[in-house]
Amino acid sequence: MSRNFASWPLILVLGLLSLPLVIMYAFVFIDSFTNAPPGSMIPNEFTLEHWQFLIDPSIAGNVWSATLNTLIFACSIGAIVVSLSSMGGYALSRLNMPFRQFFLAGIMVMHAFPSVTLIIGVFLVLQFIGLYDTLIGVVFVKASLMLPFGIWIMKGFYDTVPWEIEMAGVQDGASRFTVWRRLILPQVKPGLIALVVFSFLDAWGEYVLPRILAPTADYRVLSVYLERVSQKDSITYDFNLFKAVGLYYTLPVIILFIIFQNRLMNIFSGGTKG
Amino acid sequence: MTENTSVERGINPGVATRPGDAETVKAARKGGPRISPFGILMLSPALLFLLAFFFAPVVLTAVFSFTNMTSATGITGGAYVISPNTLRNLEWQGMDKAVTESLSGTSITVDEAALSRAAEAGVDPDFLDDIESRLMGAHFEDARSFERELKTLPNRPRRIRDLKLAAEPFGQSILNTRFATRDQAVTAIDAVAPDLTEDQRDAVLTEAYTGWVWTTDNFKRLATTPATGRLLTNTALYVGLTLSIFNVGLGLFLAIAIFYMPKASGSVFSVLWLLPRITPVVLYAVMWRWFTWDDGFLPTLAAQFGLPSFNYMKGSVPTAWATIITLNGFIGASFGMILFSGALRAIPVQQLWASEVDGASRWQQVRKIILPQLKWPILFVTCYQSLSLLSSYQEIWLTTNGGPGNTTNVWALEAFRIALSNFTGNLEYGLGAAMALVLVVVGLTLSIIFLRLFKFGEMLEKPKIEF
Repeated sequence: MSRNFASWPLILVLGLLSLPLVIMYAFVFIDSFTNAPPGSMIPNEFTLEHWQFLIDPSIAGNVWSATLNTLIFACSIGAIVVSLSSMGGYALSRLNMPFRQFFLAGIMVMHAFPSVTLIIGVFLVLQFIGLYDTLIGVVFVKASLMLPFGIWIMKGFYDTVPWEIEMAGVQDGASRFTVWRRLILPQVKPGLIALVVFSFLDAWGEYVLPRILAPTADYRVLSVYLERVSQKDSITYDFNLFKAVGLYYTLPVIILFIIFQNRLMNIFSGGTKG
Repeated sequence: MTENTSVERGINPGVATRPGDAETVKAARKGGPRISPFGILMLSPALLFLLAFFFAPVVLTAVFSFTNMTSATGITGGAYVISPNTLRNLEWQGMDKAVTESLSGTSITVDEAALSRAAEAGVDPDFLDDIESRLMGAHFEDARSFERELKTLPNRPRRIRDLKLAAEPFGQSILNTRFATRDQAVTAIDAVAPDLTEDQRDAVLTEAYTGWVWTTDNFKRLATTPATGRLLTNTALYVGLTLSIFNVGLGLFLAIAIFYMPKASGSVFSVLWLLPRITPVVLYAVMWRWFTWDDGFLPTLAAQFGLPSFNYMKGSVPTAWATIITLNGFIGASFGMILFSGALRAIPVQQLWASEVDGASRWQQVRKIILPQLKWPILFVTCYQSLSLLSSYQEIWLTTNGGPGNTTNVWALEAFRIALSNFTGNLEYGLGAAMALVLVVVGLTLSIIFLRLFKFGEMLEKPKIEF
């Protein structure tokens, strides 16, 4: 930012610090397309054999059904989170109702609260209502755990919409619902897009919930699929195979992230991952 | 919409145009601020989900932490089964041998159920008719008296062996029989061993119950076992080191370094450091496994330089700790980075220019201008991330899984393993819930304190339009 100082020492230090990350991500890419002689890290031949899992289910199971399951899983969570949050956030931002303070405080506490500790309780709830070991149960749980965050983010976006827009709509005789749907929702579109992408990405990467709450169901999501591939046998660890699977699994995430980078940055700081 | 009328009546431009006057307008209205049913309607779907999958789990965690529920007792309640094991346990507890022997004996009752069992076993129907007409409802203490009675019947089988076979279906042992309710179990026990005292029977029933019962043993166990202290130390170490070195320390360094860099290289680094956060956790764990495993990157590199080369992730305690702290810290650093970057942009740039004119070095700028103004963001990151680190176990579970031994095990991981993921087969939901409850209470308390600290009241402005 200032020409009084040289910036190359800083770049050098930061580059050294980032080296582990660069190496790890670079080798995920390199190793999935190449073979290296034993005892060395430097590849000596180009090959596509690690990508055969895409057409040959005997290597690691059917990856396409896992992909479809993950897509359904992540899309339904995105849809639930964005629709419920956009409604709830509007109510908390603009409408007067009993216990409003209480709800707001509750949402804030739930947002700050580390929800992973609830997994034992969630397990018991699913057992009681009979949704244990079903995909729909996991969808509900994951969406609910994301709701406090979503509502809080959407409330923030609604708070910045000038209320004159709303006033004008109501004066012209529109119902509160019409005002919300026709006038306010278009105003918070950036927030809706950011939230839907964020919840999609979060659900796409989710591992513990499907693994624990739906352990034996026929469907598998990609995270569980990848973990199965990597668990095979620790002696004949085929790093190249699960790097290829891992790259395949992460590619949509990276692409979505690059496309929506700027919008996501707005809300990333509210994320709850460790 | 049905609210239409109330909405129209509620329009009050005076309220709307002067938000500052909300209090006076409210006072002017007779019934206080008008309540919008539409608001409740909009919020209710979200509330429903939160109630079912957020609030209910908290309550259930609290409730079931006071039970001895395991996968052996089941979740919905149990039955009464007296097994040979039950009797052996009772003897160990000092129960009279005569009592347990009488419990393992059989009783013979002639009733519909027994008759149909006998018919199924292929007993001569004429003989069964005899038994039904003469002995229906009769009850015998042992097999010999029943057989003596059978020998008096006209259609009895010729051979003694057949007679004994025919008598067998009528005998009933209470051993290994499931009784759904306590009353059924009491009736059955009274039939077999009528001379049990009330106390003895209660002791038998308690021992025979397979379901879960209320108990405070979980907390007693947590308070007394030495493993608790170890877990607490580990958790404190893990949270403290990760937070100070990476989430705050590295996050701060990244933000300031990127701030001082040319824009292009700055954005490269900020995207690079965001990658661990967006990478799915399973792949991230696998990448670290590759990085530190036996024939992975670091050990191979170390071998070429003649340094000790082994499985760094699980091979020794210091390297295992370094691995889990670094891999968690690399995820956490981006949170601080984003937050601090935002705060840095808010610092008036003139202050920095002025300091440069006065000849301040970069280090002086950071110490005297930047750090003092980042006080609140630093506090916020510390609070927020300590909460999420306290409860995070996914990354450790997928990498070291607490190993080597139990040296990198933390509280949240142990709770998770006890209740939901261990390989001994018996999942102790009750004990796991008790451990999770500790985290829930700590988490709730801390998040409420933090919200107080960050002036939660200011975030709760009244809605501007009150109708």
